[in-house]
This record gives sequence, structure tokens and C-alpha cells, in this order.
Amino acid sequence: MWHIAKRELSDNLNSLRFALATVLLLGLMLTNAVVHLREHPERVQQYRERVSGHQNHIAAHASNGLYDLAQEGPGYLYKKPSNLRFCAEGSETFMSDRAQAGYHRWSTDTLKSFWILAYPSATPNRDNVRPEVTKVDWGFIIGYVLSLVALLFTFDSISGERERGTLRLTLSNAIPRHTVLIGKFLGAFISVSIPFILGVLVNLLVISTSSDVHLDAEAWGRLGIIFFIAVLYTCLFLALGMLVSARVQRSAVSLVVLLLVWVVFVVFMPSTLASIAGRSTSSGPTYDFSERSWKLHEELSSDYYANYDEGPEGSTKRIEIDGAYVTKDAEQQEQLHEERLNRRIAEVHRARAITRLSPVTIVQNLIESFAGTGFERHLQFLENVKTYAREFRTFIVDTDNADPESLHIFGVRTGMSQEPVSPEAVPKFEDTLNLSKDFNTAATELLLLTLFVLVLLSGAYLAFVRVEV
Amino acid sequence: MLKTLIGRELLDNLMTFRFAAAVFITLLLVVANTIVLLKDYEQRLTAYNTAVQESREDLREEKTYAGYSGTLVAHRPPNPLSIFNLGLDKQVGNKIEVYHAFVPTIWDAEKHGMDNPFLNLFTSIDIVLVFQGVLSLLALIFAYDGLAGERERGTLRLVLTHPIQRGYILLAKYISAMLCLLVPLLISLLLSIILLTTSTTLALRADDFLRIGGIVLTSLLYVSLFYLIGLCISALTRRTSTALMLCMFVWGVLVLVYPNLILTAVDIVPKPNAQISVHNQIKQMWEQLDKENKQFIRNDGVLSPPSRGGEDLAAGFGLEGVEYTFWQDEDKPSILLYFHQTGLYAGKIKAESEPQVPPVQNYYGFYNRETINTVERTWLVRKPALEAIYVQPANLGRMLLRFSPVGLYDAATEAWAGTDLEGIQDFFGTVQRYRRAVVDYFYDKKIFESRQWFAADKGTADWDALPQFSFHRSDTGINAKRALPDMLLLLTMNVILFTVVLLIFVKSEV
Repeated sequence: MWHIAKRELSDNLNSLRFALATVLLLGLMLTNAVVHLREHPERVQQYRERVSGHQNHIAAHASNGLYDLAQEGPGYLYKKPSNLRFCAEGSETFMSDRAQAGYHRWSTDTLKSFWILAYPSATPNRDNVRPEVTKVDWGFIIGYVLSLVALLFTFDSISGERERGTLRLTLSNAIPRHTVLIGKFLGAFISVSIPFILGVLVNLLVISTSSDVHLDAEAWGRLGIIFFIAVLYTCLFLALGMLVSARVQRSAVSLVVLLLVWVVFVVFMPSTLASIAGRSTSSGPTYDFSERSWKLHEELSSDYYANYDEGPEGSTKRIEIDGAYVTKDAEQQEQLHEERLNRRIAEVHRARAITRLSPVTIVQNLIESFAGTGFERHLQFLENVKTYAREFRTFIVDTDNADPESLHIFGVRTGMSQEPVSPEAVPKFEDTLNLSKDFNTAATELLLLTLFVLVLLSGAYLAFVRVEV
Repeated sequence: MLKTLIGRELLDNLMTFRFAAAVFITLLLVVANTIVLLKDYEQRLTAYNTAVQESREDLREEKTYAGYSGTLVAHRPPNPLSIFNLGLDKQVGNKIEVYHAFVPTIWDAEKHGMDNPFLNLFTSIDIVLVFQGVLSLLALIFAYDGLAGERERGTLRLVLTHPIQRGYILLAKYISAMLCLLVPLLISLLLSIILLTTSTTLALRADDFLRIGGIVLTSLLYVSLFYLIGLCISALTRRTSTALMLCMFVWGVLVLVYPNLILTAVDIVPKPNAQISVHNQIKQMWEQLDKENKQFIRNDGVLSPPSRGGEDLAAGFGLEGVEYTFWQDEDKPSILLYFHQTGLYAGKIKAESEPQVPPVQNYYGFYNRETINTVERTWLVRKPALEAIYVQPANLGRMLLRFSPVGLYDAATEAWAGTDLEGIQDFFGTVQRYRRAVVDYFYDKKIFESRQWFAADKGTADWDALPQFSFHRSDTGINAKRALPDMLLLLTMNVILFTVVLLIFVKSEV
């Protein structure tokens, strides 16, 4: 078996395609690294500035007392840029890099609306007239280029030998057919891996030499997983190449078939499926969000003004009514925002489920999840934001409870603790990435990819066993 | 003789597996995508119609002329040819306010319809994209063994024993292959046009068919270019398998790698911060207006001094019956947009304030005139700055893309479809002219200094007399003019490559 693999390998290493594949992958990986080094420090710098801005914001309001802090909220919360963004761009520009924990809507002479959590959306397209392209990241290199290279290495592995008559020669020896197949597979696999590994090494070398970009142990672990996914994906296309090569008489026909299959599954299926998915999900009625929000507020405030005269100015009763009005309003509005967000997320989930029919989408989703970019990462960020919002609110309640002089009525200045708040005690937002969570979200896709590989591998085996020489 | 050769080649090509596969794949992809794109277009059209209707109703509800801010809106209809090349049609804003306090541009536009911004995550597709990928691949698959294959089989030597010029052989090969490639192109286009005509909402006009013809012509040039690239490789290599391999790598680089690589490598991200001084300049002009404004009020003896410490210009000038005052401002440094406006709304002005009304009218006449002058001044600096921030990098990107035939093809078909930047700018040019027309109308009818500008008691705003907005896509001639440079480039590349192939073939030993 090793003998066959070795022969296959030496055949490939001397070929033109090996040289071309190496040049192509090296060039792409190098560009990727250089571009990452150009862009990433800026992103990290921006994030740092924003985080310190957030902390200053909290400190400024904390020094004004508890009411101010509770009314203003923690302000903008920012998403931490992943240091593995060169692995997958993940359409990050289409998702907002912040959540707004301090969205104010109205104020009257005595009352101010309390902060709510709102989710601004990014619309980079609107003021962008650039031509639309896919960023060259690992996802692109693996998804498109590596799969094409894998096909180019295997299309003639069986049909080519049959054409030249060497297959008959090999099989006349006392070797079982599956050994021949595995040997060929290994040979092709190693010859595809060499240029890819070279590219990855050059890429990582360039990135890790820079002092601006720091890769920690966890990042290396994630890179390892991404590499494993790339290997699995390559196997898929190698198996496909062998399958077609075994079934087809001439190698030219084999390549034509493979290329057409590749174009359909890799190039067109993701976008066509996405169009179908996007259309089928967004066809619901586009109800006017701001109108609903305004209506809710209007109903609440008319209720409030109906009870306006029940308590005289300054009495506890009055403070209670005011407080209930403000907190109820904030609750309602936040729920509305949350509902809209959930509806949008559900739509994207449905659309993503459909696009999973294409292996390239699966692999790009997987790389995104492990690189800490893309949609799943965005959901994690939103989860972090919500956790923090709860924490912040608990802190306000606890601080207020600790003050015996306070009336414990939220929403009104006079109803809350008047003690100064120490800025250090206020919880700060820290966006984190969690590898085990990524694993959970990626598990289905990983299984799906493995399933694809297994099916194709057994297909190639069956086809080769039954082939007539 | 040429006829015989073409006949032979045609027969050879037509009876192959690759021809069947080519027709099948192109048909499958084009039909599937047309159905999807048609539905998408219909949905966008419905969103457009609803938005137009709603805006019209909103405007009708305004009783005073000053209330037209934010309610007089121009909507951009979806382009039916965006099915062929989507271009910028979907990504750029399609809802734009018409207001005298700023000049509307592509960057001020917002979007109607699109409810879920997350759906931008998914890539979009159009028919040109299908052709771009599939037809180029097919052209190469048809070309790779054109010369190398015949040489391998020895038939080339046989053909050349006849007294035929080598150029004829090449020409015959070229013509027959192009005929074969035309079949999937035309059949799939025909089917997609049939699908489009069955739709009740999408109405293709006569000149749209001319534009589609332009797209077909460009596609032909594009396919022919790839065929010639394949033939060139085929003439240079000895073995068909090497030729095929090389073709695939060339395809991968030209179609897949180069366009993405070059735009990743070259930084074409807009940098609004570079023009921040312009934004400050614009702000200063508005502050200047603010000063003149206060000066005017101070000099006017009749107008009550503005209340709240003399700073708040939006106060109601002591008019009895003012329901609310407003202060409207925009400050977006990234698109250099800055303005502020004040105004008031009076449902019914009380009799004791009646003497106050003419000075207020006079004031608004002055204020609006000065506002418009300020806008004109800011536009002089804002326009070139916006071009520098957004248009220049985008054009650089498009220029770099043109080094690949894919870029040329995309640019030319975009121009034919009218979804390129210039086509979209046509719309915003029309909106700018419309804004001018509205302002002129307001000047003409003295609406800025009329009572109806801020009060609804003696006659309300008459929106029916306002000039109506209408937008027509540019003429086919203009589309053709925009597409021509790229098409000429494609043609030149074709001619050069054909000559190169001919030279190689004439010189080569059989």
C-alpha cells in the first residue's frame, strides 16, 4: 500500500499541477497574512479605545449617583474582534459591532425614559459603492481553491491509469483492490496537503512574526481544529474525484464531469440556495416597527396621565406611579426590540439550514465558528450582552437595597438611593469567546461534513471494486 | 473548403458528452436562478409600490408646507434588468428624502422594504454571474484539445496534407466552437426571457430587449476570449492532459482568484476621516447661517425676542396658538452631511397675535432663502469630497478588476443593464433636479414666505400642485456608450489573442 502511495506521490510531485497548486496556494496565503497584518492592529486599537470609552462613560455616570447610572445605562457595548479573523472574514461588516445598552426615547419635565437594550444594525452597503468581492481568507482558500486543486489531483488517478494500461499491470499483482484505492488516496492526499501545509506555514509564520498580532494557546488550538476541518473537506473532494474517475472511461470526460459538479455545488449552490432561502423567509408582512413602538408608549402614557392626579406632587404615591410608568415603558420597549431581533435571527437560521446542502457553505460556517467570526459568533456576543445587562440591573437593585434611606422605587430620582456609587464597583462589560460553545454550535455541521466524506469514500470504494479494467 | 472544415468540426463538437453537459448545466443554472431572481424582483417591486403609496399618503397628511421634511420622499424602482446583472441595484439605498436643507446623494439614501439586515450575510446571484463562471469554463473545455488533441491523434497532420492554409483551419475551429457555445447561451437566455414574460409584474420594454441584446453580445465576446485563451494553451502544449490542467488553473486564477485577491490586497475601503476638514468647513458655513439668522431676529423690531435665553430659535416667536416647535438636525461626518432647521406648527393662530404673523412670514422667507444658499455653498465642497471618499476607491477597484476578462465582462453588462454606478447616479441626479424643481416652485409661488409654511388655519398646503417626481432609466444609447469602452477592450483582446494563436499555429511543427 505504501508502495502505491509513494509511487503516486512521486508521480504528482514532478507534475506541473503540483507546481501550479503550490504557487497558487502560497500566493493566496501570503496575501492573506499581509492583509491581516495591515488591518488587524487598527481593529484592535479601535476596540481598545471604545472599551475605555465605555468605562469612562460608566464612571462619569456613577459619580452622579445611582439614579443617573440606572437611567443612562452602560452605553454602547462593543464586540471584541477575533484575532483569527484571517481564517474567516465571516461577513463581519454586515453585522453590527456593538449593542446599544442606553437607548433613550423621551423625557418630560420631571421624568426621563430608562435605558433599554437595543440592537443597531450595520448597513455598510448603503454608503458603499465598491464592487462586491469575497475577501481572500482561509475559508475562501479552503472552500474554493483547495477543493479545485483536490479535483485536479484526482480526476485521472484511475481513469488515467486505465487509459495508459498501467492499472491492469498493478492489478495483476496480488494486491487487493481496496489496498490500491487506499494507496492512491493517500498518495493524492499527501500531494495536495504539501502545498496547503506550506501555504499555512508561511501564512502563520508571517502573522506570528508581527508583534501587533498575538496568538495565544487557545488560538493555536482553534487553528488546529480549522486545519482538521480543511483536511476533512479535502478528503471529500478527493473521494469525489476518485469516484468519478473510477466510473468514467476517459480522464478528460472525468475532469469535465468533476468541474461541472464542482461549479454547481461550490460556486452556484450557495448563492442560489441563499436567494431561495432569503426570499422564502422575508416574504412576511413588513410591519412598521417604530409605529408599534410608538403605539405601545402612547397607550402607556395615556394610562399614566389618567392617574396623574392621584398623588400630590412629591408624595410617595406619586413617586410610585411615576416609577411604575418609567419601568413599565422600558420593559415593554426592550421586549419589542428583543422580539424583532429574535425574529430576524430565526429567519437567518432557517436560511442557513437550507444553504447547508452545499459542502462549501458547511465548511465556511465551520471555519467561521472556530475562528470566532460570523453569525454564530454574533449570537454569542448578543448572549454576552444580555448576560451583562442582567448583571448591571442586579447591581443597581443590590446597591439600592443596601441603602436604608432609599425608597426602593426605581425610575424616579427621588425614589432611589442618593448615595454616591463607586465607579470601580460597577460591573464592566467584557466580551469573551468560548471554545466549548463553538463546538456545540458546530457539532451538527461537523457531523454533516463527516457524513458527506463517508458517503463519497464508500462510493469511490464501491465504484473501484466493480470497475472493469 | 472552409465550409467542409466547419462542418466536420461542428459534428465533432456536437456529438460529444461535453456539449450535452454544457447545455444541461447552463440551462439548469439559468432557469433555476431566473425563477429565484424573478420572485426576488417581484418582491422588491411590491415593496417599492407600497413605499410609494405610503409616502404619498404621509405627505397628504401634512397641513403646512414646512412639514414636507421627511415626508416628501423619492423612491428608486428596482431595475428589471437587475435579473441579468444585479450590480448595485439592491445594495444601494432606494429611498431618499427631498428637502431644501441638503442635496440628496446616493449616500443619504435609505432603504424601504428590507426588513432584516442580517439577510445581507448571504451572497446574491444573477444571470451574468452564471455565465461568467459556467460559459468561461465551457469555452476552455471546448478549446483545450482543439489543437493539442488533433496533434496527439495525428489527424492534424492528415488535414495539413491538403492544400489548405493553416489560418483557415484555425478559423474553422473557432467558428464551429463559437457556434456550439452559442447554443447553451442562447437557449438558456431564451428560456429565461420566456419566464420573464410570463410574469405579470415585470414588463420588459422594447429598449430593454436592445439592452439584453447588448448583454448577449458582450457575453459572446467574453466566451470567445476564453475560447481563444484555451486555444492558445492548446497550441503551446504537446499533450491534451497538460493543456486541460493549464486551462483549469488559468480559469481558476482569472475567474476565481484574481478578482478576489486583488481587491483584498489593494485597500479600497473608503476613508471618511481623510475629509474631516471638509466636514468642519461645512459646519462653519452653517454656523455662519445661524449667526446671520440671530442677527436678523435681533434687528427686527416686531418679532418677539426668542425665548429661553435668546438661544432657542425654534421658539414660537410669542405667537399664540403655536402647537409645537421643532429643531431638526443631521450630523453624519462619514458622509459629510450636516444641517439644522427650525420651524413651528400653528394649528390656529389667535387674533391677538395676528400682527405678529407678517414678520414671522418675512422671517421664514429670509431663513429659507439663506438656508438654500448655504446648501448650495456646502454642496460645492461636499460633492468633490464625497467623490474622493467613495467614488474614487470604488473606481480604482473596478479598474483593477478590468485586468481580468471577468471584470470587463461584469462592467460592460452592468452598464448595459443600467445597474452600474453611473446608472444609479442617474437616479440621484434626477432626484437632485427634482429637489431644485420643488425649491423653484416654492420660490415661484412664494411659499417660503407664506402663512401656509407654518400655519394651517388660513388654507392648508396644496400638495397636488407640487411638481411630481418621475424617473426613467437612461436611453439605450447612453447604456451603449457606457458599455462600449469595456466591450472594445474585450474585442481588442480577442483580436490580439487570435493573432497570437495564429502565429503560434503557423510556426508550430506538426
